[in-house]
Amino acid sequence: MTPQTPEQRNELVLSVTSAHRDRDAHGEIRAHRAWHDLDEAGRIEAHDETRKLRALESVASADGLTSTARAVLSRIKRAP
Amino acid sequence: MDLDAHLSEIQSGDADAFGRWVAGAEPALRASLRSFAARVDTEAVLQEALLRVWQVAPKVIPDGRPNSLLRLALRVAKNRALSELRRARVVGVDDEKFARLVEEESEAIATPPPDPMLRRAFEDCRSALPPQPSNVLAARLESSGESDETLAMMLGMRANTFLQNFTRARKLLLDCLQKKGITLGEAT
Repeated sequence: MTPQTPEQRNELVLSVTSAHRDRDAHGEIRAHRAWHDLDEAGRIEAHDETRKLRALESVASADGLTSTARAVLSRIKRAP
Repeated sequence: MDLDAHLSEIQSGDADAFGRWVAGAEPALRASLRSFAARVDTEAVLQEALLRVWQVAPKVIPDGRPNSLLRLALRVAKNRALSELRRARVVGVDDEKFARLVEEESEAIATPPPDPMLRRAFEDCRSALPPQPSNVLAARLESSGESDETLAMMLGMRANTFLQNFTRARKLLLDCLQKKGITLGEAT
């Protein structure tokens, strides 16, 4: 793991809070690439921060959906 | 609050009904994965679990207790996390300890829709943000899983500028909500 400044670490944590996740060759959802660059404390911080942000997303949305919910629904609706 | 109210529509293939179910189920599911957060990416696990729940929902038979689908989802999410741990062959993982976590059923408490007062406070704080952080916050809050690079490009920004503005927006918004007596995690 590359040494990080507090700013770099904060950017990694906030990157992991995104609902964007790539998929592997089998179509399975992969961990965010920034997640691999965080230590254990950073990963727990990212989890807790995601929880707060999803609460905000739910409040901001008329139907209470978060970016996680929209990402999943988008995949379901695209499926044949 | 019993989210099984949506079950029959979900079982008939109504994705929007599944969305309504997810809106109430997601906080409990995410909270149930915290024990795994140091070792697995809980967002990835949660999304896989939700897709799996959608697939198996048609076979669910309610057992007479509330939230049968949410209780199943909690088990699916924890099993998925455990499976990720095993796949990653994480050094030092005590599989039995995590297996016990799977056995301990998390509380199947559904989250009610956001309080209108909280929504009003959020909108007040959001409207006070400077333009750039406000635009970045809107892009993130309204996204459907697009990458930050994609969202930054849509706003004509570099990815690191996007994240810097997001950091600023998040801090200003949380400070403003706190001044109104709202701490996320307590009110939500």
